[in-house]
Amino acid sequence: MTTLRQRLLPYGLLGPGLLWLVLFFVLPMVIMAWYSVSTGSLETGWQLTWAFSNYTEAISNYTTQFGRAFLYAAVATVICLLLGYPLAYAIAFKAGRWQGLMLFAVIAPFFTTYLVRTIAWKTILDDASPIVSFLKTIQIIPADGRVLATSGAVIAGLTYNFRPFMILPLYASLERLDLRLLEASRDLYASAVQTFFRVTLPLTAPGIIAGILLTFIPAVGDYVNATFLGGANQSMIGNVIQAQYLVVNDYSTAAALSFTLMVLILVAVTFYIRFAGTEALMGDDEEAGKQ
Amino acid sequence: MMPWKRSLKMLLVATAGLVAALTVAACSSGGGTDSSDVPTAPGGEASGTLNISNWPLYIDENTISDFEKKTGIKVKYNEDVNSNTDFFGKVRPLLASGDSGGRSIVTVTDWMSQKMWDLGFLQKLNPDDLTTVFDNLIPSLEDPAFDPGREYSIPWQSGMTGLVVRKDLAPDVKSINDLFDPKYKGKVTMLDELRDTVPLVMKADGVDPVDADKQDWLDAIDKVKKAKDDGQLRRFTGNDYGQDLAKGDVVAAIGWSGDAVQLQADNENIEYIQPEQGCMLWSDNMSIPIGAPNSPAAYEFMNYVYEPENQAQIVEYVNYISPVKGVKEVLTEKDPKLADNELIFPSEEFLSDCTNQVSPPGDAAEQKEVENAWISVTKG
Repeated sequence: MTTLRQRLLPYGLLGPGLLWLVLFFVLPMVIMAWYSVSTGSLETGWQLTWAFSNYTEAISNYTTQFGRAFLYAAVATVICLLLGYPLAYAIAFKAGRWQGLMLFAVIAPFFTTYLVRTIAWKTILDDASPIVSFLKTIQIIPADGRVLATSGAVIAGLTYNFRPFMILPLYASLERLDLRLLEASRDLYASAVQTFFRVTLPLTAPGIIAGILLTFIPAVGDYVNATFLGGANQSMIGNVIQAQYLVVNDYSTAAALSFTLMVLILVAVTFYIRFAGTEALMGDDEEAGKQ
Repeated sequence: MMPWKRSLKMLLVATAGLVAALTVAACSSGGGTDSSDVPTAPGGEASGTLNISNWPLYIDENTISDFEKKTGIKVKYNEDVNSNTDFFGKVRPLLASGDSGGRSIVTVTDWMSQKMWDLGFLQKLNPDDLTTVFDNLIPSLEDPAFDPGREYSIPWQSGMTGLVVRKDLAPDVKSINDLFDPKYKGKVTMLDELRDTVPLVMKADGVDPVDADKQDWLDAIDKVKKAKDDGQLRRFTGNDYGQDLAKGDVVAAIGWSGDAVQLQADNENIEYIQPEQGCMLWSDNMSIPIGAPNSPAAYEFMNYVYEPENQAQIVEYVNYISPVKGVKEVLTEKDPKLADNELIFPSEEFLSDCTNQVSPPGDAAEQKEVENAWISVTKG
């Protein structure tokens, strides 16, 4: 016979987390939703007027910055994947006794704050830096060109800052890979390339999908990289939201922009997961479906 | 397929919940008062604890400890004003309910002082409690347009917004218009503060910011936008333009005089240039907010920093323009080089074409239009 205590236990365990979510996620969301359809100013306070024009205005005024945010984040995510996969592969299979050290090297930057690391990139990429002179010598950038305050610098910053979010899930899924399957593939006369594309890659798809989500989502909303590494023409939607909140104090526009960004990300992610398949992300959900 | 249907249902439930919550939340809203019936901050015997809000690096810390020693008042000095709007956003909800959050002095720039006063967030000051201040306040700051006779604001420090250049790399930048010279393409920055940058651009085109209408502001913003789109402007900055100048990534910038003095101390090639058409002049002002717990101590502090000796200590540290008479004489003995610096003790001639900082004209909606146009450029 189940006692009252036993029946209440799950709620007790759920309670603190739930309370946290309600206080710091649901409540702020409600407040933000409220602002996004209100009109007013700091001086007069806000009135709920169901002003959905806040949305249309915000979107039409800042389409460029939305586009830029998605473009930069997408490019950075692709670069992260292309750089991250071989690295994760190497750490998982080829690093031997260096494995621990290499993983540490991937995580180590997290020991300094995000802000400091981004500002350090300002020095690395400044106009007189050796890297920039080298790029000029090999004529990747023109002699009177620059790296800092360009789209390239912002994408480089995003790539750098979010790369560990790509590498760690990739590593986790590669690590779990059953090496006997690769052997079997070779035994069945698949070439190394075929084995990679038909065995390794599909089996590590969950890691790839998780990595892409973990990199892309925070990168779209980022404003720190564009602030420090971008110039006058590199603002992302995060910069606009920041300015609307803190400079103009126009909470309605800021909230409308935030919600729009959230919906856009949600739609993009939904399509992406549909396309990529939930099984890959959640594991085999046949079991779940049968219940 | 099941999980998808389930999540769709949950989404619907969540949306319904959100709408319901919104309707409930709709009952609340904040409101302001106005300045017609604000109280006068009481004076009297000063003691206890004094809470001050000011900008970062804007005082010599010894000034605080000397004041504490002399008066027995304990000071909690908070450097929590990083930008006017930011600070206002933070304290507005408190002030709207008559609470200052423990602060007895807040320090904000002219236009924000006025805005807070208009909302009834600042108390009236009693001149009888500020005898040292009114004895030593320099005449040019006695009657600013926004607060004639200094009813509610006492200048903390003043400064100029003008050109900060690398004289070795851009020797011929003399006017704001030179910033638009293609020769310096990609090597120029401007401040992202609407009230600093845009009026300077207007002045360079012969428009007096004091009489400017909304269209003048929008035209000047448009000029900046074109320069931005052409790649003429490298970026818009807060007070971080100094690093770009020091490295030479930027050769000319719109910047603040006090910064220039400090930057020049580290790199003698950095120099403040008074724009040919004049600078923008501004002050940050001390005020006693509504609900201030210790206004007698606030008066005491204001009087204290208006003693030339004490003020000299601050000026030596912050390098901005002092609103206090007799500081130059004190510094001539202590630090003659500083006393001769035209950026700290400007002559009338040096300031002849300068304009006091102004806000965009018109009502709230028109001001918002200008501010939004500016944000679209600086965050473009």
